[in-house]
Parts: sequence; C-alpha cells; structure tokens
Amino acid sequence: MQIQNYNMPDELYYEENHFWIRDDGDFLVMGMDDFAQVMAGEIVYVQLPDEGKRLNTGKKFAKIESGKWLGKAFAPVNGELVGVNEELEENPGLINDDCYGKGWMYKIKPDDKGELDNLIKGQEAVEKWLLADIEKYAEE
Amino acid sequence: MAEKIKQALIDIVGENNYTDSLIDMVSYSYDASEYSQRPSCAVWVETVEHVSDILKLANREHVPVVPRGAGTGLTGTATPLNEAIVLDMSRMNEIIKISIEDRLVIVQPGVVYADLEKALAQYGFFFPPDPASGTVCTLGGNVSTNAGGVKGAKYGTTRDYVLGLQVVIPDGRIMRTGSRTMKSVSGYDLTKLFVGSEGTLGVVTEITLKINPKTTAATTSMATFDNLEDAGRAVSQIMYSGIIPSVLEILGHDTIMAINRNTDLDLPEVDAILLAETDGYTTAETDFQMEKIIEVFKKNNAGKIKRAESEEEASDLWAARKSAYAVLSRIKTHVVLEDVTVPMTKIADLLKGIKAISEKHNIIIATYGHAGDGNLHPQFVYDGYDPKQVKSKEAASAELFQLTIDLGGTLTGEHGIGLQKAPFMTLEHDPAAMDVMRGIKRLLDPNNILNPGKMALDE
Amino acid sequence: MNKMEAKYDFERKYREQVLQCSRCGFCQAVCPVFGSTLRPALNARGKMLLLKEVMDGKIQLDDELIESLFQCTTCASCFENCPSGVNVPDIIKQVRKDMVSIGTCHPAFKGMNEVLKRHTNIYAEDDAEDFGREKNRKAEIVYFVGCVGLYREEESTEATLDLLDRLNVDYTLIDEVCCSGVLEDVGFEINEELARKNIELVFATGAKTLITGCPYCSRTFNNKPQYAELREKGVNVLHISQFLKDFDMGVKTDKKVTYHDPCDLGRHCGIYEEPREIIRKIAPNFVEMAHHHADSLCCGAGGGVRGAYAKNSLAMARRRLQEAEEIDAEVVLTECNSCIHNLSNAKLRRQKFEVYNITRFINELMENK
Repeated sequence: MQIQNYNMPDELYYEENHFWIRDDGDFLVMGMDDFAQVMAGEIVYVQLPDEGKRLNTGKKFAKIESGKWLGKAFAPVNGELVGVNEELEENPGLINDDCYGKGWMYKIKPDDKGELDNLIKGQEAVEKWLLADIEKYAEE
Repeated sequence: MAEKIKQALIDIVGENNYTDSLIDMVSYSYDASEYSQRPSCAVWVETVEHVSDILKLANREHVPVVPRGAGTGLTGTATPLNEAIVLDMSRMNEIIKISIEDRLVIVQPGVVYADLEKALAQYGFFFPPDPASGTVCTLGGNVSTNAGGVKGAKYGTTRDYVLGLQVVIPDGRIMRTGSRTMKSVSGYDLTKLFVGSEGTLGVVTEITLKINPKTTAATTSMATFDNLEDAGRAVSQIMYSGIIPSVLEILGHDTIMAINRNTDLDLPEVDAILLAETDGYTTAETDFQMEKIIEVFKKNNAGKIKRAESEEEASDLWAARKSAYAVLSRIKTHVVLEDVTVPMTKIADLLKGIKAISEKHNIIIATYGHAGDGNLHPQFVYDGYDPKQVKSKEAASAELFQLTIDLGGTLTGEHGIGLQKAPFMTLEHDPAAMDVMRGIKRLLDPNNILNPGKMALDE
Repeated sequence: MNKMEAKYDFERKYREQVLQCSRCGFCQAVCPVFGSTLRPALNARGKMLLLKEVMDGKIQLDDELIESLFQCTTCASCFENCPSGVNVPDIIKQVRKDMVSIGTCHPAFKGMNEVLKRHTNIYAEDDAEDFGREKNRKAEIVYFVGCVGLYREEESTEATLDLLDRLNVDYTLIDEVCCSGVLEDVGFEINEELARKNIELVFATGAKTLITGCPYCSRTFNNKPQYAELREKGVNVLHISQFLKDFDMGVKTDKKVTYHDPCDLGRHCGIYEEPREIIRKIAPNFVEMAHHHADSLCCGAGGGVRGAYAKNSLAMARRRLQEAEEIDAEVVLTECNSCIHNLSNAKLRRQKFEVYNITRFINELMENK
C-alpha cells in the first residue's frame, strides 16, 4: 500500500520504530520500512550481532547509522537472533535500495508467535500510524 | 568527450569506472614532469578484456589512449595529449603468483613496487631494480621506462629481469611475449622491444619478472673529494678493483650544500662525495670488497674516507642521498631532473662539462647520481616564472645533451624520453634508426592512437 | 603568472608551499583517502594540482572541487612524508575557509555549523547520558567527554569513568558542550558561545586540570585562542593517556595486543609513548602494526570525513584493521572515541579481534579480576 510517497506492503507487520516484520513460518524476518530509510538517508553502518543473541521485546539490540542519524533496532518479540543479512556488512546501502527485499536485516526465532498481534498490521492501522508519524517528523 | 564514445566506454568498464569530472581531469593532466594537458576522460580498467575493447574502440573512433600507472614519471610519458582517454591501470594490482622455485613472480601492471618488495621479502627475495619512487610507482610504469635505481651498477635495470609480458597491442589483440623460463631465444625478442617503449607500442597487462635472493650483509662507506675530476676518475677506476659495488653514488657540491641546509647531516662541503655499498652474505665478505674500493678512493686523492659503523649510520648516509631531489627543489620554483648517461670513463668529463655549462648560462645545475653505471642526474634549479631563466635553462639543456652525445653517451639512462627529450632524439639516433623506430610504431599502431606525440615518433 | 593579485587567503598565506609541490606523487604511498580509493584526484598531490590551477586562473574555486578539497581527514601523513615539506592539511583548512566565504561548501559541514548554533553537540541530540554521576561539582579535575563519547560511544565512556572511580580520581563531569574545534577544520570558526560556556563551566568547578579522552578536544583546548583563558588561568589540559601513564593498574593480560595511534594524538600532538607505557605494563604481549607512531594509518574518521563521506571513511578504517589482522592481534587498543567509532563500525564479523579504548580495556580487566 502506498501512503503518500511511502511504500508499506500490506502483508507485513510493523514495529512502532519503523521496522517491518515478515512471518516466514518458523522464523521472522525484520528490516527497516520505507519511511525510515527515507528519513535516515543513506545507511552507512548496520550492527550485525552474533547469532544466538537473546532478544527481549522492546529492548534495543543493534545500532544503525546514516550520515546524520543514529538509530536503534528494537526487538519486536521475545526470541533469539538466528541470522543476519551479511550483505549489509559491506553494502549497508541495500537498505535504501530495496528495504523489503535485498535490504532485509535480521532473522528471528520467536518464543511465541502470538506476540505478533501486538504489532501494527492492516491497512487502516498502518495508515493511521504512518500519517501521525509523518506529521510528527514534519514539525521537527 | 563525445556522448557516443562516453557511452561506449561505460558499456565496457561500467559507470563506476568512467570519469570526466573536473577534479579527475585535472589530476590526470599531470604526471611528475613539467608537462600537462587535459584529457577528455579517464577509465579505470580491471581486466585485459577491458583494455582490448577500449583499444578497439579507440581505433574505430580515432581517439587517442594514454596508459597510466602511478603518474610518477619525470618526462611526460603519461601526459595525455590530443584529448586522450586516460587508461588508469592502478586497479589491476594483483600479485598473481610468486614462484620461488621457478625464480619468478607474475604481477599485474598496477602493483606498487613497494608492495611487491614486501611480498617477496617474506621469502628472502627481491626485485633488484629499485627506483627512488618505489613507494608509489607501479611495475607497469617500471616496464614502460625500463626503470633503474641505485642498485643498477651491479644488478642492472628492469629490462634485465622481464621474462615475459602480456600486452594488448593497439588494434586490440592480446599478445604474449617471452616465456616463463629463465632464458629463451625463440623468435624475435618482443619482450625487450616493449620494455622501455613508454606506452607507445602496447598496453602491458601482465608482467613476468625474474627475482633474486636477497643478500644479508652490506658495508657502506663515504669518501670526500676536493676535486670533482678525482671523484670521476675514482669511479671509472673502480672497475680495476675487481669489485662491482652494489651501489655507487655521487653527490656534487651544490647538492651537498642543499642537503646540509635542509637536514642536520652536516656533510663535509667538498667538491664531491662518493657513497659506496658492497653486498654479500657475510660482513667479512662485504668488508673485503669495500677494502678494494677504498684503495681506489685513496689512489684518487680522496680526502676523508669513512666506513659506516652501524646500520643506522649507513641508513643516514643513504637518506641523505635520497633527499637530494627534494632538498634541491626547495631552492627555487622549478626543477627539471635529467638522467644523461655516459661510459664510466667519461664521468669526470661530464661533470666538468656540466660545471662549465652551469657557469656559462648562470643557472644552477646540481649533480648527483648513479656513478656506478655512468648515469648522472643533473638537476636544473631555476625560477620558472622568469622568462630569462627559462631561456637559460633551455639553452643549457640543449648544450648538456650535445655534450652527452659528444662523450658517447645517451640522452636518458632510466627516465625515458617522453616529451622532455623528444626534440633531441635525432641528436642521438641516426636517420636509419629513427626510420626503423617510426616504422615499428606505424606497424603496430597505424592509426597512431596509443600515446601519440611522444618520443619524436610522430614527425 | 605571479603578477596576478591573490584572490584568496590560501594563496596569500600558502602560495610558496603550493608551488613547492614538485608533483612527485610520493604522497600516494601514505594518503589514506588515495590508498582506499586509488583515485588520484583525492590524493594530496591531486589537491595541490587543483589549487595550482586555481592560483593560475585556469579553474574556479567552486562546487566542482568540493569532492576533493573537502575529502581529507587532515591526518598529515602526506606532510610527514612530503620530500618538499608541503603542509597539505594546513593549506586545505585555509582553502575550506575560503570556499565557505564564497558560498561553496560540503552540505554536511554547513549543516554541522548550523547545528552547533542551535544545539550543544554536533549530532543535534538533546539527551546527554549522565552516566549516573553528578555534574558540575567542585573537584580537582574536570573530565571532558567530547561529543563522540557522549552520543556514539557511551559504553566506552562509562567504562572510562568507572576506571577513574576505581583509581579514586577526584573528577567531575560538567554540562559540557561541543568544543567546536572541528569547525576550524571544515571551513568555519570555533563557536565562541560554546567555547565560553565550556570555560565558565570549568572555572566554576575550581578544577586546575582538565582531562579528556578525546585527542581532538585536548588539541582544541591547548591550541586555540578561544580557549586561551583556560591556559591563562592555569588550567592544565591533558589527554587521559598522559594522566594515567604513571598509575599502577595492577592487572595483566596475556592476549596479543596492538595499539593504533590516533592522528590527533600522535602526528598532531607527538603523544606516542604515554599510551604505550600504559599498555606495556598491562599487556606484555604487545606488538606494533606495520604502520605505527608517526607512520600510523589514519582510521578515516577525521577532518569531518566520517560525516561527509562515510563509505570512504569506513573503507579507510577497514584498511587499518587489515594491519591488525596481519599481525594476528587479539585486541586493538587506542584512546580516541572517534577512532573507536569508525574502527568498530568497520570491523568485519569474521575478524575476531576486539577494538577498545585502553581505559575501557583496563576497566574490564579490573572487573574480571
């Protein structure tokens, strides 16, 4: 779904700090959404922690940097980090090029997939949330 | 750059390897010589196919191409004339193979000399021709100018070590010369033709080099001479000592003064200083060799003779020699370095003659250089913004070359002809030789697209 | 040619030096920007050629030159190795001021100047970590963190402060603002208001010593006229390595350790041995990388390059870390948050060595004891 100029695919879950989560069955895949990558500008560094790292809902587990911004990746659910997109080590710009595809960031094994219900999903919810944030950032 | 040619180049090397932005064009206008001209664009090539396709394109469109390594040449060999495309070879910088058992190394042209040195040192080997610009110059450039260095007297120059090449000739065909064997006399020696051809006959894309085991001991000494001619005679008489020193360098008076002004080495301010090194595997051996050389110094009125007592002392002396170019270039706005070479018996005459030319034209010509193989480096130091001094320099240069030829010498020992000495080629080479050179150029490059305008090949 | 009226300050001040560049190209051996891009236009020689042509009226000093003239970490490796003694970093800094004065500048630096007019730090962040410590106390020593330590390397800063606590050092933090020294290097001037604020805060504590982990800040406080009052009133400014070198840490490691000389501490201040003295006492298995002391390879962050040309900046850092890999180092130590930031960002996952400030490393050894 397009909201203003931002592409926000319908089938994905969204975490309020502008990360998308895809349900891939046993695992979840996570990345930055289109709004975040535009706001951030060219991503120059993505922290890729070691596999096996414990993730706690709402806690930051990695840093992301663009030229002007330092961001944090927050765990959308409780679980374990089981994979990272190694391409991002030398090509962090993939997030800007293709944030939902080649720019995917983390692979998570969730403790309880039920936690996905706490994330933002569906056209109505996503639109409401995004428009509010667009306004908020416009003011700053 | 015409749009269609630009697009064709991008199609070959990719957008990221093409540039025509101002900052790049300015950089590529220059090498380390006094010449400069704007190219139309530059490309970074990564494969021999890139080079081949570009030369084919250049022939189709009649656009000149100038290959370039580190751009540290002193004669304008890499200066792009006629809005050429600059072919920056520095990204082809892989050491492809080191084979100690075959006594060779295979490198791409963009490999920096110092990186090769480091890689070979691990095995206790080295590539002897050691140009002063070794920290930055590339092997492709060394091949293009048959680079020498301070070890030339004993170990020779680049040409003595190139076993074979992969070259792209101007029509785009990829060709191999030589072999990976220690010796071969199969067919014409095309390798030796390309070495020193200054990028006018083909673009070198792979080089097979013979390497030497490193010596482990060395003795260094210094001798002062109140009389320049005594120093010159000492140099040519060293041949009678039975020893070939690994290094034999000379510093003239002006050079000594400049070094003293810019460092705290406090060299004795004499007419000439000779620096010698003997190498081998034990200090007993190198000391023995040095004794013989010192005898020659003594026989030729050396004032003070000093042997370096430690590695540190030795390296201080060599640092002094290596600083010559730079300290001299701080005196006035412009410097031009020549590298005329004469038979060793004529060194004293050459030094005397340079002194006379310097006085006649009232221009500083400081001398230093590889006395051991007759290769002097007269350095002209002058104010390039003063038209009178520029004229003096030009007149003095011309006389220097005439003197050199009269002494049975050659215009250049190791820097090449490029643009700098092109006007004097016919002083040294007879009409038949010039005809043959131009004929070879025409044969390989009928459209004259590869580094045109150099070495007086065009006339 | 030299009858032309000098149009820019860089020409008035540095004409001779620019002309002294003999185009030898030896700087290509040491320039980190050239080493990681192989692009002659970005090399020191390339910059001098541009300036020569500007002086000769062949090209204009304008936007087209930004990519070269604003992409220099001012590491001074070129100057250190230039046979003709051309002080490229000083010339570049003046050129940038000239460019700003005619309205051409890299947007990142213009942005930085604007940010410092409205914020207390270069990142425009508003929430400084307080590390759980009281600020602006009366104390013998002020510990000045610096922007990178406050907003990008908080973990390292926390560890440094923990170490100072363990050593019973009487220090206080202050409500510090950016020393703004970086502005002088990217075409602007130190922000006098910010400088004033720092000076007042320091005086209010009564401290006679200011220690910082940031070599850049210590240089700024020690050398810039806007901070002269500090020196005049007898406040001694030290880099933390100078302060700690005589302490007995009482811990040891047998890991293979190496040290990266930050450009601002080493080449620019001549402080090479103090950090090494500290390290040798705690790590007997100390090895130098191929380039060290005055030859140290720049991490790529300085001169504003990390902000303006991040990709190339990280490529330079990667090049430096390769040297650590080559000597099989297990730990790479330094004492500069900017180096830490760039080096740890650049470190590849497969590279198993760790990158730390000396102070953090010592603190961890003490914690694990």
